[in-house]
Amino acid sequence: MNELNSNISNLVLIPLLLPLISGVLLLLISDKTKYLKEVLSFAVTGVSFAASIVILKFVLQSDNLQYHIKWLGNLSSISFRIDQLSAFLLFGVSMFSLLLSLYGISVKNRGSSKIFYFLLMLTQTAAAGSVISDNLISMLFFWESMVVLLYVFVYISGETQACKKTALKTFLINGISDIAMMLGIIIIGYISDTFLMSKISQNKLILSGWGTVAYVLLLIGALTKAGAFPFHTWIPDAALNSNAAFMAYIPAAIDKLLGIYFLARISLYIYQINSTMQIILMSIGAITILVAVMMAFIQNDYKRLLSYHAVSQTGYMILGIGTLNPVGIAGGLFHMINHASYKSCLFMTAGAVENQTQTNDISKLGGLFSRMPITAVCFIIAAAAISGIAPLNGFFSKELVYKGTIMSGYTIFFYAAEIGSILTLASFLKLGHSVFFGKTPENLKDTKEAPYSMLIPMIALAAICVIFGFGAHLPISKLISPSLMALGFVADGELSGFHFDNLFLLSLVVIIIAVSNHILGFRLSGKAYKSSDHIHYAPVLHQTYDMAEKGYFDLYEIFRKIFSSFSSLLFKIDRFFDKLIDDIPVSITLYVSDKVSKLHSGSYSLYMFFIFVFATAYLIYLGGIKW
Amino acid sequence: MVTDFLSYSLIPLCSALAIPFISRKSRRITEILANVTLLSGLINVGYIILHYIIKMDYSSFTFDAFTLLMIFTIYLVGLAVVFFSTYYEVENDTNSNSYYSLILISVSAMCSLVMSRDFFTLYIFMEAISVCSFALITSSNSKNSIEASIKYFFLTFPASVLIIFGISILMLNYGSFDFDTIKFTNINFLTVIALSMIIIGFLIKSGIAPFHFWTPDVYQGSYSPISAYLAGIVTKIGGIYAIIKISQILYNSGATYKISALLLFTGMLSVLIGAFGAMVQKDFKRMLAYSSISQMGYIILATATFSPLGIFAAVFHLVNHATFKTVLFLNSACVEKNTGTTNMEELKGLEKKMPYTSWTSVIALLSTAGVPPLSGFWSKVLIIIALWQSGNKYYAVIALIASILTLAYFMIMQKKVFFGKLSEKLTEVKEAKFQLLIPVITISIIIILSGIFFNRVYFYLEKIIM
Repeated sequence: MNELNSNISNLVLIPLLLPLISGVLLLLISDKTKYLKEVLSFAVTGVSFAASIVILKFVLQSDNLQYHIKWLGNLSSISFRIDQLSAFLLFGVSMFSLLLSLYGISVKNRGSSKIFYFLLMLTQTAAAGSVISDNLISMLFFWESMVVLLYVFVYISGETQACKKTALKTFLINGISDIAMMLGIIIIGYISDTFLMSKISQNKLILSGWGTVAYVLLLIGALTKAGAFPFHTWIPDAALNSNAAFMAYIPAAIDKLLGIYFLARISLYIYQINSTMQIILMSIGAITILVAVMMAFIQNDYKRLLSYHAVSQTGYMILGIGTLNPVGIAGGLFHMINHASYKSCLFMTAGAVENQTQTNDISKLGGLFSRMPITAVCFIIAAAAISGIAPLNGFFSKELVYKGTIMSGYTIFFYAAEIGSILTLASFLKLGHSVFFGKTPENLKDTKEAPYSMLIPMIALAAICVIFGFGAHLPISKLISPSLMALGFVADGELSGFHFDNLFLLSLVVIIIAVSNHILGFRLSGKAYKSSDHIHYAPVLHQTYDMAEKGYFDLYEIFRKIFSSFSSLLFKIDRFFDKLIDDIPVSITLYVSDKVSKLHSGSYSLYMFFIFVFATAYLIYLGGIKW
Repeated sequence: MVTDFLSYSLIPLCSALAIPFISRKSRRITEILANVTLLSGLINVGYIILHYIIKMDYSSFTFDAFTLLMIFTIYLVGLAVVFFSTYYEVENDTNSNSYYSLILISVSAMCSLVMSRDFFTLYIFMEAISVCSFALITSSNSKNSIEASIKYFFLTFPASVLIIFGISILMLNYGSFDFDTIKFTNINFLTVIALSMIIIGFLIKSGIAPFHFWTPDVYQGSYSPISAYLAGIVTKIGGIYAIIKISQILYNSGATYKISALLLFTGMLSVLIGAFGAMVQKDFKRMLAYSSISQMGYIILATATFSPLGIFAAVFHLVNHATFKTVLFLNSACVEKNTGTTNMEELKGLEKKMPYTSWTSVIALLSTAGVPPLSGFWSKVLIIIALWQSGNKYYAVIALIASILTLAYFMIMQKKVFFGKLSEKLTEVKEAKFQLLIPVITISIIIILSGIFFNRVYFYLEKIIM
């Protein structure tokens, strides 16, 4: 067994080092080669995926995996520890990397394929390293290396100024939150004398004094990565200015996986959080759901609309984790993987539509169902899943979250989540209606179906949505329950399975409300993409929406304004000190110099006078002093 | 007087005596004789020193390290100046008869001075050096140089008066001139007056503020290689050396001699006046003269601590000053020869035409300003440490700040003369002759090497204060 364990332990290095090495090797491949880079990265991600399945299987059957590498002397070592939760995450990361490396082949605006696949490979390494690290410092190392990758991913998507601005925004928001996280980790290391999460979890930290500060800092890091309110604002901007492959890969999948993973780790594994923090967490979740879905509802850009949903769905996960009961947590984790699959799928459909029609503006699209049937079907499945229509995967995970919320006793959050569901469905009715149904614009008559490299990952993800829905038992028993165990929770009672109860009836009510709202909106405006206008231009909401679109509620924009006035103040202070230490000494020096050199006039009598005066003064001084 | 090194002073003297007789035949023979005399002496003394420095073995070292080092420095600068003069101005014939004789005599006198072990011998050779200098300054026969010579004479004669008076009082008090006999253990009023007069005299001789007024005029006015000679070694051996020696004696006899405060103040004044004065000068050589005043101030500051480390630092700074100031003055002489002016306003961008001159200047000025790893850095650091350790923290801070001023005025000089766009008048300028560059480059290499291998030099210098 031991020997097997060590063999398997070495397997850990495959999803970690293989993408890293091949990512660097990719840079050596000539630009002229066609498809070589794509094939190589597809093979590498495939191998990593296989390895992660083997690891998952091993972890589920027998034991946690551990792997240590000496690093940084006494301060830290790279220590990996794969429990069921980490194995689940590793599986998720590898799966999405595999699908995206296939999908990326035909995306047009992703920059040069060399750089794109290099970034993809490195992101996989960083994400895999983050989820399997036991040591907080090595986790931070992998976690923070993603910031640069994010920046470059956005930066290479376009030539425009907006693209570069968004890249900077992405970098700043993520970078600052990572600094917060680093501070939190330092404090944790200080108060608990170790950076190993498994060790800390044996004696969980509580929220008091520095512990609270550390938790809040770590929470900022986790929430920013997951893209929760109010740290989400780079995602919609990135949706406008970057490519669909990036959106499907990082904000939709990897970031959610990492953020929620770390949120679960800190809130449930290394901290024993109290009810105040629970309410805060759940409030963040509920606010994220509502704010983002309200914003999503009025968007007219395919990817931007999806990106707001990516934010909104994070709220469900946070809400689920925040319930602190096994059902809710299971819901949160299940929603995490479900969301990643359907949101990735939706972004892929967006990419396919963009690729075939060169536009993302839903007002210019329409009637694509007959021209892109497979894409449309995938879209419908994924949209149904995200809207929580039974029996797709979204329904089951949302059901668990609702149950958990009710069980936690804070029913108000349950209502918020339900309203979120209505708006989610309504906005997807609007999106689907305006893109795939209705009249086809003249210039899109010749639109063809997307290439197979795009369709296959899309179909795979849509299939997952269906499988995880009808066969929810499989992921629950293989992935979610073991993960709960790893976090120290045991679910009482069956988590999976279809329950014909009030929640199901309520979901039917939600569907009815959303559909009737859509019909109302469609009737009022006559255009599918305007079906949200009756809410968009409602009295109070109108002004609020305008302000939101202008970025008045964007924390980043607010801070940017504060900082620009602050920096102009600093500039003035700097000028002042510059004058103080630069100009004034120079002018004094020159003044003195001038006087000194004028004194040396060449006059013999003056010189003699000085010599005699000073010599006498010296002699008097010395003679008059007692020794 | 110690007799171990007598040959170093006698051989140049003999050469000097021989020169007037042979130079009638040929000027070339005179030059060869002068160069060979000094070169052989330098090789000799250099071998002794380098032997120990390279082997790092001082166990068998029996010489008086301080004297030996001074002789080495005298020969180094002397040879550099003589070699430089040989190729400096062939057409406009200086009176080579007297010129090389005088240099050799003054080398001989300086060697004798550093060998002397009593005040009277010291005084005699100091006067001999002064007399040689008066004559040497006028070598170019220009009006300026004669004015400089007269100024030098009239402004430093009070020094001689004060010194001879001081020595007489010491003689009255102790019945001896000998350094070893005169113990300053129980000091009375007369001793104080005598020592003060001697020290003030030597301060005047070495051009320390507020007795520095002759320095800029003399260095600016004299024949260019002689400026290097005066600034590099003559005024140092003729003035500063004696002060270092006195402080060494005071330290050895354990006297708590409170002239320290006065010397510290004088040194600080000198550092600041020199630095401020150098900042706005328009003439290359005059600016170097102010810089010289400033650097002398550092040596006085170090000496005034009356501590082993201070004396150590002072001696090392004296040697360093001899190297870098010689380089700078010789470079200014090259610039003057090739462009016909030393006015910095008229010079610009010479680096393109005279790269070696420019870059040796950079090395020398960085060493002066105390930039590691050049040798000037170590001596300045030691001076500041010595000041700090002896409790004179304000002076240490001022010394540190003044080294920024040093860098500032040298940067101004470098920018005006060498950097920037070439001035249109100077398009015809050529690099100095190869022979003129040899001394400069050699000394620059010494600056760099003694900075890099300071650990070895350190062990040698340690011998001075033992």
